[in-house]
Amino acid sequence: MDKKVAIVGFRMKSAPDLVTTRERLTFELTRGLFDDLGIDRTAVDTTIFSTNDFLDGRTISNVFLDGPAGAYMRDESKVEMDGINALMYAVIRILSGQYSTAMVVALGLTGSQVSPYLHVEYQLSPVYDRQMRLLNELSAAAFQARSYLARYGYSEKLLDEVAAQALSNAAANPNQARKIPGASAEQVASSSPYYEPLRELHCYPPTDGGCAMLLASAERAKELTDKPVWVLGMGQSIETFYLGERDLAKSPSTAQAAQRAYEMAGIRDPKAEIDLAEISALFAHQEPLLAEALGLLEEGKAEEAYRSGDTAISGKMPLNPSGGALGGHPISATGIIRTAEAVRQLRGEAGDNQVGKAEVAVVHGQDGPCAQQNAVLVLGI
Amino acid sequence: MRNVAIVGIGYTPVFVSKRRDVCIPEMISEAVENAFKDSGLTPADIDAVVFGNMQTFEGVNLPHLWSADYIASLGKPVMRIATGGTTGMSAFHAGYYHIASGLHDVVMVVTYEKQSEGDSQVGLMGIITPEIMAMLAAGIDVTGQKGMGAIGGGSAGGISYQASSYLHHSGAGIEHIDAIAAMERRNAAKNPYAHLKDPEATAEKIAQTPLISWPIRFGHVCPTSDGATVCILASEEKAAKLVDKAAWVWAVANCASDATTGNLIEGIITDPAEQMPAQIAARQAYERAGIEDPKKEIDYVEIYNGFAHQTLMFLERIGMCEVGEAHKLLEKGELEMSGRLPVNSSGGVVSTNAIGTSAMNRVTECALQILGRAGEHQVEKEVHKALAHGWGGLMQYVTITILADKPKKL
Amino acid sequence: METSEATFITPVVPMDFTYNYRIGPYMTRYLEGFKERKILGSRCPACGRIAVPPRKYCGVCNKVMEEMVELPQEGTLENFTVGHVILEKGQLKAADAPYVLGLIRLDEKASLLLHRVEGVDPSRVEKGMKVKAVWKEDVEGDYGDLDHFEPA
Repeated sequence: MDKKVAIVGFRMKSAPDLVTTRERLTFELTRGLFDDLGIDRTAVDTTIFSTNDFLDGRTISNVFLDGPAGAYMRDESKVEMDGINALMYAVIRILSGQYSTAMVVALGLTGSQVSPYLHVEYQLSPVYDRQMRLLNELSAAAFQARSYLARYGYSEKLLDEVAAQALSNAAANPNQARKIPGASAEQVASSSPYYEPLRELHCYPPTDGGCAMLLASAERAKELTDKPVWVLGMGQSIETFYLGERDLAKSPSTAQAAQRAYEMAGIRDPKAEIDLAEISALFAHQEPLLAEALGLLEEGKAEEAYRSGDTAISGKMPLNPSGGALGGHPISATGIIRTAEAVRQLRGEAGDNQVGKAEVAVVHGQDGPCAQQNAVLVLGI
Repeated sequence: MRNVAIVGIGYTPVFVSKRRDVCIPEMISEAVENAFKDSGLTPADIDAVVFGNMQTFEGVNLPHLWSADYIASLGKPVMRIATGGTTGMSAFHAGYYHIASGLHDVVMVVTYEKQSEGDSQVGLMGIITPEIMAMLAAGIDVTGQKGMGAIGGGSAGGISYQASSYLHHSGAGIEHIDAIAAMERRNAAKNPYAHLKDPEATAEKIAQTPLISWPIRFGHVCPTSDGATVCILASEEKAAKLVDKAAWVWAVANCASDATTGNLIEGIITDPAEQMPAQIAARQAYERAGIEDPKKEIDYVEIYNGFAHQTLMFLERIGMCEVGEAHKLLEKGELEMSGRLPVNSSGGVVSTNAIGTSAMNRVTECALQILGRAGEHQVEKEVHKALAHGWGGLMQYVTITILADKPKKL
Repeated sequence: METSEATFITPVVPMDFTYNYRIGPYMTRYLEGFKERKILGSRCPACGRIAVPPRKYCGVCNKVMEEMVELPQEGTLENFTVGHVILEKGQLKAADAPYVLGLIRLDEKASLLLHRVEGVDPSRVEKGMKVKAVWKEDVEGDYGDLDHFEPA
């Protein structure tokens, strides 16, 4: 896709517990965004919310956010999925020509939740899995981890190394919730076991967080910022719901989504053309698994890639230089926070987490147990 | 901007209070199968899917994940839209933008509700209950803002304020609410996909139903239904190849106010019948469709009326008649199928309410009228342009869609 | 404006929702099979793969699966995990003792069935183990009738 839609600004925030309300967080993020850009709410043609009512514990939760987001008496809709899909809807709306700007507001207060894992429990089939009480988000991820490791004969140490890299990156990033400075593979390996082979530090921490982001048409973007980041491609796909029928060692829906996004962006050789990736890997094994599906890592070479430093901030293919979702997973906002982190990189504003060359980035978001549904964006400057 | 056409519609065979025979995705698949039959398309023709239902009502989070195998969606982009009562039309709008943007050519929009599996009143109270509990625990006054939300969201309570305000400002009486409810029940009797049907309904009969909270009677209130509706949309180029005749989207619009609208007690905005979002969204839609005088140019209207007075109230708010005029049109029989401004010949939401489908069915019913395929409930006049209205959120969100019998000149 | 932590509260809403899920004809058939200690699946007429438990649609082929097939009671452990935690109403808690969950292949064409694997030391579980179904003494057509699997 030509440079038709740009990300012109964002505000994000996350912490283990933000000690705030959804309304206040929405106001802080959107008001802050307006102030950054020197606009008021009338400059926003449409607002797309991304929140989850099960997480919020109230039906049609976003109605209370209309006022704080400045959407009062204005155009608004809601995508109840990971926020990267709300961003895609914003892009679609701008491409239609009906709107010249669109704001995405995504938030999830998961860290301060009494029941942070209920959200996924309610995604399972109520007429089977929820009756059997065997499957959950973590046990499903454990099957996926084992399946992935077994496919290529990787040792479980790979999980520790992936997590250690992500946690170190997260510790350097002021936007992240989980801070373990100098996290080592040994430290990860000695964290408490959940479902083997997964341990606590291989898994995302329940997190509070949110992000507001403004997108604009090419013409409008030039008025709003000197540093537009362009949405060059996007794609999304879903695979079967049934875990026992999925090839858990691969992510075919991610590969499909990436293929669509790359085709739109005119990317033929992702390894060569993409400078960094922000991947919504909720568990350590998902980072290399999804990076392979995105065509960024060679299949079967994950151990070498991590050990050689290729995937580090200073490496050839930095994966989650922000620290990724192991540093924080505010459900509904994670994918758009990954997008915001990629924007920081492309603008050269990522501070201690800044990668060398940053001109084209790929961003990934997911929904469903073991990433049943995946979305991919290609961003560029 | 590209033109978008409706090329296929599929309903579940019935909309009833309890589909005991099927589970949720099985029920949804029936509407998908019917949409394929109706359009002559196959799963391979679909580029993307939009999916919508009322969030939380059946206690399934992101139900598109569970339904994925049943809606011909594997390997395709699937977007889940959820905006409360308006979800069906919000999902339709998302499908529209998928094509108008030039990104996709054929998009299937899937909406459903299986209300018998949850408790919609509890679901609606769930909008506000956690807030109320928190406020009570903290010693905060609940008679303001969100307290009002609880009254309005969870029951016919807030609606009775709206209805009495409407009556006061329009000069209509409770007998008009009885009469419009009766008209819609009679209309529903001619619609195979309606739930509450009564070919013999009269205002007098409705007037005998118990009063819930003046002026709302039992006979003015929608049922809770199980059902699914699927709509297939296509770009102009594709539609030309697929169908001889299509219903074309001329405009979509929506508007939200905030959850404090309708706050009677704090007096911030005192009138839940004002429905400013309906006025704003309708105005935008007319502008986008190039409609100068909706009263003359719109032939048919489907109003989202969870409660019977809303048919009359929203006709006024969207500018289809003057304030205080709707009940007079009703008296003259002009809102009937045979009238000058036929409204809700489907029976409306007040006769059938599988929530996720309710705002979508307003659109598909307008399309059937334009295509002349509404069968027994086809209106007498020719329908060239029709307007579909959706209402939801916390009494504060409105969607509008305008359809026509030919593509819009771009 | 910053607000101090003390001004916030954590409400726990004492509310449990009740849902009445209709399980549909396919799951009904599956549970009826349990009464005869049978494990049933549905076969896709296009690709021939078998879904266990049975369901209406093969999503890959977009075909209605009508044929019911009975599966063997013995199979291979394809994948497993040892759980040290449980999730209860969305909260993470320590398990009383480590336990084994397995993905079991009952037929070459069948989907993997998730179940508990008992009668084996969790530290000695291996992929490829042969396991067999263990039924409750009194089967009544309920989800719990097929109790667990154990080494064959």
